[in-house]
Amino acid sequence: MHGEGKTGNFGVICVGLMEGCLLICRLFSSFVHLLNLFLSPTPVVTPKVRPAPPATAPRKDVVKDGTLKKVVEFVESEDGKKMKITRTYKIEKRKASKAVARRKNWKKFGNAEFDAPGPNVATTTVSDDVLMTFITNKEDVESQQEEDPMAKLRGQKMVQCRICKGDHWTTKCPYKDTLGPMQKELADQLGLTSVDNEGDATSSPAAAAAAAVKSGKYVPPVLRDGGTRRGESMATSRRDDNATIRVTNLSEDTRESDLQELFRPFGSIARIYLAKDKITGQSKGFAFISFHRREDAARAIAGVSGFGYDHLILNVEWAKPSTN
Amino acid sequence: MKPILLQGHERSITQIKYNRDGDLLFSCAKDQVVNVWYSLNGERLGSYNGHTGAVWCVDVDWDTKKVLTGAADNTCRLWDCETGKKTNVFDTKSAVRTCGFDFSGNIIMFSTDKQMGYDCLIHLFDMRDSHQITQNEPYLTIPCKDSKVTSAVWGSLGEYIVVGLENGQLLQYSKKSGEILMQTKEHIKQVNDLQTSQDLTMVITASKDTTAKLFDIESLDLLKTYKTERPVNSAAISPIQNHVVLGGGQEAMDVTTTSTRIGKFEARSVCLIMFLCMSLV
Repeated sequence: MHGEGKTGNFGVICVGLMEGCLLICRLFSSFVHLLNLFLSPTPVVTPKVRPAPPATAPRKDVVKDGTLKKVVEFVESEDGKKMKITRTYKIEKRKASKAVARRKNWKKFGNAEFDAPGPNVATTTVSDDVLMTFITNKEDVESQQEEDPMAKLRGQKMVQCRICKGDHWTTKCPYKDTLGPMQKELADQLGLTSVDNEGDATSSPAAAAAAAVKSGKYVPPVLRDGGTRRGESMATSRRDDNATIRVTNLSEDTRESDLQELFRPFGSIARIYLAKDKITGQSKGFAFISFHRREDAARAIAGVSGFGYDHLILNVEWAKPSTN
Repeated sequence: MKPILLQGHERSITQIKYNRDGDLLFSCAKDQVVNVWYSLNGERLGSYNGHTGAVWCVDVDWDTKKVLTGAADNTCRLWDCETGKKTNVFDTKSAVRTCGFDFSGNIIMFSTDKQMGYDCLIHLFDMRDSHQITQNEPYLTIPCKDSKVTSAVWGSLGEYIVVGLENGQLLQYSKKSGEILMQTKEHIKQVNDLQTSQDLTMVITASKDTTAKLFDIESLDLLKTYKTERPVNSAAISPIQNHVVLGGGQEAMDVTTTSTRIGKFEARSVCLIMFLCMSLV
């Protein structure tokens, strides 16, 4: 194995370095792994191509041709079939530092003591391809490609956002998760503003309260929504199952406060129940929202069903009455 | 990329290390064997046989003459790299967790576990003094009472050792006096591995708290944090590129005790192993 390296049928190289070669160069060249540059011919295993010699003396033919070396071997497999194995090696010379070259000629020891020169197939094999995925680079390239056509479209008003009517895709809308403009539109359709939909819209205290809420001023409880309502007690303000909606396909990160924010514009909420995992505390993906009024719930269904929230399309429907 | 598969161990591998020239690769495992391989073609050069417990650590000196291994059989052994013959055995009271040659190859360090009523100790031997070696008398023993040493490397110029503890602390111990030169606590869980950059100016920690952190080796200033979603078992700084490589995943042992949803384990037959390559700068 002097002065040559070989690539075997397993794509494995074994390199031996001739002392003479090193005496001439004595260079400390860097040790570069060039495995992928090597030929890695596939093993040619052809059963019984020509009459093979007796199995007791396995025949081995070695043919050298320039930088290629061919080893033809005849072996008998376990089930009695004779096989011809052709291994093709590429011989390559390689420069290395003196210390590395000296170590290359060390005698094998320990568990490898009786191994033949070259890699032992019992311990060294070439495994399957490993595919590298460069996540960040790929994303950068994609986002660049995405942005360019968008820049062209921006001036032409070809794209219109369903939520805020801006010239961007709906999914890229900045108001996507706040639902603000959509809700306003919805309220316009119903002839109501989003705030004073509770109680009588014509009564003056409620209107004043609505105005105050808009201006951010403090409103005494008696002037707030429903403050003029009388005859209500704790006992009678029982949650109305008829005004409960079920929201499904929520993302795992959803919290109750998010739901509060999302559904508050439709009317006053009696209760929010978000199903959570006991251990992780993450949302299980569904929630029940109880409104005080069935109309609010109906509008919430109309407004939020099919709404994209945190990459997911929400599904909102009437909650089925609980069995107990 | 076609990797070469090296199958020389029957149980889980605990540490692998290249020699300084990069032509030999040392691997040790819980099956009590230490193997050495040619890195170019994956040919096995030999094995260092003799340990009777899981081998936790391996190190080779700068000129690839001597190999040091530490194992759970309460010994740290010194081997002749070329022949695989054992040259010395250091008996300890408990399992040897980390070991290392300093850059000169003259001073060796190894740490023992806190177990069976014995404290975690760091032993330092001077190889030039044959008395220390033959009589098993370290010139310095540093007790580490608070926690357990889980990883250790030599610092720049061989002046100190940098030690990662089970409680997430990072300490610098002086080679001469054994006193703590610097300390920092950036991790909240065990430091699984410590590796230095090639020029010994930086050290990267891999921690069970799912982060890897880059420190200045001299001042132990935190330079950068790499966040992942699984425990990081090992981290290394590339010698040629501005990259760090992190490897880790849920330990098979912990899979049954961790909630499937917390553990990022998911319903797959093997635990997920991640390999991340992140930019250094």
